[in-house]
Amino acid sequence: MMDIDNAKRRHEKTNMEYTEKLSRQSIYWYNDGLKKANIRDISGAIISLRKSLQYNRNNSTARNLLGLVYYGRGDVVEALVEWILSRHFDPNDNIADEYIRNIQEEPEELEKINQAVKHYNQSLNYSMRDGEDLAILSLRKAVDLHPGFVKAWQLLGLLYIVTEKFAKARQAVRKAYKYDKTDEITLSYMHEINEIMRQRTVHIKESEKQSKDTVEYKVGNETIIQPAEVLFRESTQNRSVFHMVIGGLCGVAIMLFLIFPAVDSYRQKQVNQQVVELSDTVAEQKTLITSMEKELDEYKANADVYTIQETNTTSTIDSYEIVMNVYTRYYANDTSDADMMEEMLKVNPDKLGPLGRAKYDEIANLLYPRTCKRLLKAAQGKVASGDHAGAITDLNNVVKMIPGYESGSAMLLLAQCYEATGDLQNANAYYHKIIDEMAGTQAAGAAQSALDAQAASAAQTTQNQTDAGAQAQ
Amino acid sequence: MLNFEEELKKFQPSLEVEDIEKAVYEEDLTDMSDILREVIEQTASHN
Repeated sequence: MMDIDNAKRRHEKTNMEYTEKLSRQSIYWYNDGLKKANIRDISGAIISLRKSLQYNRNNSTARNLLGLVYYGRGDVVEALVEWILSRHFDPNDNIADEYIRNIQEEPEELEKINQAVKHYNQSLNYSMRDGEDLAILSLRKAVDLHPGFVKAWQLLGLLYIVTEKFAKARQAVRKAYKYDKTDEITLSYMHEINEIMRQRTVHIKESEKQSKDTVEYKVGNETIIQPAEVLFRESTQNRSVFHMVIGGLCGVAIMLFLIFPAVDSYRQKQVNQQVVELSDTVAEQKTLITSMEKELDEYKANADVYTIQETNTTSTIDSYEIVMNVYTRYYANDTSDADMMEEMLKVNPDKLGPLGRAKYDEIANLLYPRTCKRLLKAAQGKVASGDHAGAITDLNNVVKMIPGYESGSAMLLLAQCYEATGDLQNANAYYHKIIDEMAGTQAAGAAQSALDAQAASAAQTTQNQTDAGAQAQ
Repeated sequence: MLNFEEELKKFQPSLEVEDIEKAVYEEDLTDMSDILREVIEQTASHN
C-alpha cells in the first residue's frame, strides 16, 4: 500500500516537473520568437512560436504573437485562426479579442484581402497548368488589393524569373523581402536573380572584350582571326585620314542638319513674330477705324436729327409768321383771297401751338369755303371748255383747303380731270381716296364706276388683242 | 537555374475567409504534454 502511494506521489511529482519544464521551454521559444519578430525575422519568429506552442498549446501569448506575425506577412486569415484558438484557450481578458474586433470593424478591407487570397490561389492553379501569363495577371491583382501579401510577391517573383523578366522579378522579390527579411524562399530568389544578373553582365563584358581584342576577316576561303592591336598598328595612318574625313563629314552634317535649321528656325520665328506684330497693328487700326466710323455714323445720325429739328423749328416759326400775317391782312382787308390762300396753304397747322392753331382755324373757316366755292366754279368752267390742266390747278387748291369739299365732288372732278389728261396714276389715286374716305357718297359711287369702267376697258383691250393674235395666226 | 516545378511545391494555397471554421477545427493542437501523458500511460499499462 505504501509502495502504491509512493509510486503515485513520484508519478505526480514527475508530471509536475515535466509540466513545469515544458512550460519553461514554451516560454523560452516565445521569447525567441518575440526577438525575431522585433527584427522582422518573420519566418524565424513563426518557427520559434510554433515550437513554443508545441511545448504548451495553452500559451496564449505565444499564439497571439504567432497571429500577429502571420498578419505581418499578409496571411490575415491564418492570423484570425490563431487568435480564435487563443480566445478559446484563454477567454478572459485576451488581447486576441481586440485583434479580431479590429478586423471585424473593417469588413471592406477584409473582403479585399479575401479577394487577394482568391487571386493568389487561382494563380497557383494557373502556374501548375503552365499558365504563367494568367498567373502573373492574377497575382498582379492580388498584390494590388493586398500589398503586404508576401506569398503573392514571392510567387510573382518566381514567375518573373521563369519568364526571364529579371528586373520585374527583382522588384517583386524586394517587396517580399520588405515584409519578411529572412524567408528562405525570398532569399533564394534574390540570390538566383543576382546570380543571373551577374552572369549576364560578365557575358556582355566578355563579348565586348572579345570583339575589341580580335578582328575576323576572310581571305579567299580562309577566315583569319587577327588581334585588333596588330591591325590597328598597320592601319593607323589610313585610319587617321579616314577619321579626318569622317570628322569633316560629321561637321558638314552638323552644319546641315543642326546649325542651319536652327538659324532658319530662328529667322522664321523672327519673321513670324513680325507678322504677328503687324497683324496685331492692322487689327488695332481696323478696330480704331470701325469705332471711328461708328462714331461718325452717330454724328451723322445726330446731324440729321438736328437738321430735321431745325427744319421743324423753322417751319413752326414760318407757320406762326404766316398765320399772324394773314390774320392781320384778312382783317385789314387789303389782300386778295387768292394771295391769302396761297400763304395759308404753306402753313403746317400741326406744328402750331394752341394760340396759333386757333388763329389759323379762324382764318381758314372764313377764307377757305368762299375760296373753294369760287375755285370749283372756275374749274367747272374750265372743264366745260376742255381746259383740264387749268381745272386741275384750281381743284388741287380746293382739295388742299377742304379735302371733302361738296361731299367729294371737287376731288371727283379732280380725278376725272386727271383721267381726261391721261394721268391715270393720279386719277386712280384720287378715285381710291374718295372710295376709302367718303364711302356712301355719290362721289364714292362715281369713283367706283370710273374704276370699273377702266377695268372693263382694259379687259376689252386684252380680248381684242387676243382675238387679233388668233386671227393673225 | 531554379527548378520551377520544385519551387512551385513550396507554395501552398492560402486560407480564405470561408475556410476559417474548418481551419480552426482541423488545427493540430497536440503539444508535448499530450505526448508525454500518452507515453506515461503506455508505460503504466505495460507495467
